[in-house]
Amino acid sequence: MTDFLKLVANENMKIYSRSRTWVMLAILVLCNAGMPLLFYIAGGDMDRWTVFSWTESFTFMLTTIFTVVIAAEMIAGEFTWGTIKLLLIRPWSRGKILLSKYLAVLLFSIVGTVITALTAFIFSSMLFESPASGMEGFMGGTAPRGALLNLLTDYVELFVIALIAFMISTVFRSGSLAIGLSLFILFVKNLFGLIFNPERFEWAKYVLFLHTDLSVYIHSPTGPGGVSLWFSVTVLAVYCLIFAAITWTVFAKRDVAA
Amino acid sequence: MIEPLVSLRGVSKVISSRTLVEDLTLDVPAGQVFGFLGPNGAGKTTTIRMMVGLMSITKGDILIGGHSIKTSYEQASSLVGAIVENPEMYKFMSGYKNLIHYARMMPGITPQRIEEVVGLVGLSDRIQDKVKTYSLGMRQRLGVAQALLHRPKLLILDEPTNGLDPQGIRELRDYLRKLSREEGTTVFVSSHLLSEMELMCDTVGIIQQGRLVDVRQLRSPEGERAFEETAFAVDDTAAASKVLASYPLRIQEGLILVGGDRERIAEINTTLVQNGVRVYGIRPVTTSLEDQFLQMTGSERHD
Ligand SMILES: Nc1ncnc2c1ncn2[C@@H]1O[C@H](COP(=O)(O)OP(=O)(O)O)[C@@H](O)[C@H]1O
Ligand SMILES: [Mg+2]
Repeated sequence: MTDFLKLVANENMKIYSRSRTWVMLAILVLCNAGMPLLFYIAGGDMDRWTVFSWTESFTFMLTTIFTVVIAAEMIAGEFTWGTIKLLLIRPWSRGKILLSKYLAVLLFSIVGTVITALTAFIFSSMLFESPASGMEGFMGGTAPRGALLNLLTDYVELFVIALIAFMISTVFRSGSLAIGLSLFILFVKNLFGLIFNPERFEWAKYVLFLHTDLSVYIHSPTGPGGVSLWFSVTVLAVYCLIFAAITWTVFAKRDVAA
Repeated sequence: MIEPLVSLRGVSKVISSRTLVEDLTLDVPAGQVFGFLGPNGAGKTTTIRMMVGLMSITKGDILIGGHSIKTSYEQASSLVGAIVENPEMYKFMSGYKNLIHYARMMPGITPQRIEEVVGLVGLSDRIQDKVKTYSLGMRQRLGVAQALLHRPKLLILDEPTNGLDPQGIRELRDYLRKLSREEGTTVFVSSHLLSEMELMCDTVGIIQQGRLVDVRQLRSPEGERAFEETAFAVDDTAAASKVLASYPLRIQEGLILVGGDRERIAEINTTLVQNGVRVYGIRPVTTSLEDQFLQMTGSERHD
């Protein structure tokens, strides 16, 4: 087990030895500090949780993009650099190497999320008052709860998109394709819901893109096409398992002739 | 007979109905420097990729230290250190961090061992620099360092002299012989350069168009170079070759050429004389492997 953690440590070392990783983390800090500051300068009459949620809903997009950048390079990078050969001739099965890489991506996503949440929270709290007790936050429910649920549902979306990027990176061994395709999906997925409206097409409720944004369930007990939260979570889980299986199969079986 | 450390058993590799390696069977005894010789495109790298588990084996199996690369990959590969084609490293990290990376993947490698290997390949004063600042020769040496970290029983090097200057080639050669002598490491080294192989290897296997065409011992177990032939000048080569039918021989420019040690030479002489063939002269000829290699590959081309 400690031996396996060393593999994860290796992947972390490779991620954090690159200056671009630190640039991305610095940008996250800057944006999460800057947004509350802008709201403050603009002089809005808002409470800290509202500011936090508005900041987070914008900056979390960046966290997602940066995680996608890391995930996209994870396997494809080793192939482009040619280092995949020296990595795969060690006494470790390919499955374990792949898992260590995926865990390093998840760790990065958690680091990015924590930086986002902490910085946004610190600056919102410094510059704004807490809401008057008993007042509803704009998200519904009590204000902190709404903000945290929002963060959680954003993370779920990040998780799915990052897995897609990781899969494309493995299957096509191209970092730019992985970034391009997964961000394309991130930005146009809402269109799918409009075109293939589950009210009109029965099968559309099984489309992944309708379920990546679970935040609809914060306000309403039913989601797209009247499905429940559990239905959405199950659809997401099934897709994630399929993506993981594809990634693993391709990576474990592939002839490496880089 | 020493147990072979590496055993290739009927190994074939087929990619989209093209056969890159065909029915390769080969044993490499422990402690040898084995040369895998063949022209470009012969299938050397493909074979090595299968030996280290980078490519699947279409047919047959490869055993390393008795472990199948197909079914017990983790045991088999823990005995192996390798460079496959160019040693690509993480350029954005220092040489030292690169070695830490590989050290973490194998059990029991101490910081002292890393120091030791770095000293061995002569990178001590540059090891903290980023790999992107290294010359090709330095990268090659870092490649050798990562392959040696865990004291592998088998060291596999694919065309290691590519891109090295004569000085570097010489160092590598001396180093490989030293490894095999002092640590008993078995070395499997591929090359298309025949002259290199002659100086480095105990045995060479020659591969051509994916097939093993010959395996030759270049040195006797005592370390003598055994790659010599003896020429007999006789009055009638046809009669002589009939008399000597049981010996492997060839006829070239009116001379009978045979391989083998002194006893065999004496034996052949006796046989010739006893059968009424007149022997005018006996002398040793050193044919370079290159000549033989070209002969072999030349004759292959006709059929
Ligand atoms: N991944 C691959 N797919 C198809 N053909 C390949 C692949 N890799 C190598 N080859 C072909 O296989 C033959 C042997 O290649 P290789 O093993 O690299 O030769 P060598 O290392 O002896 O120069 C060459 O003709 C090469 O073009
Ligand atoms: Mg080659």
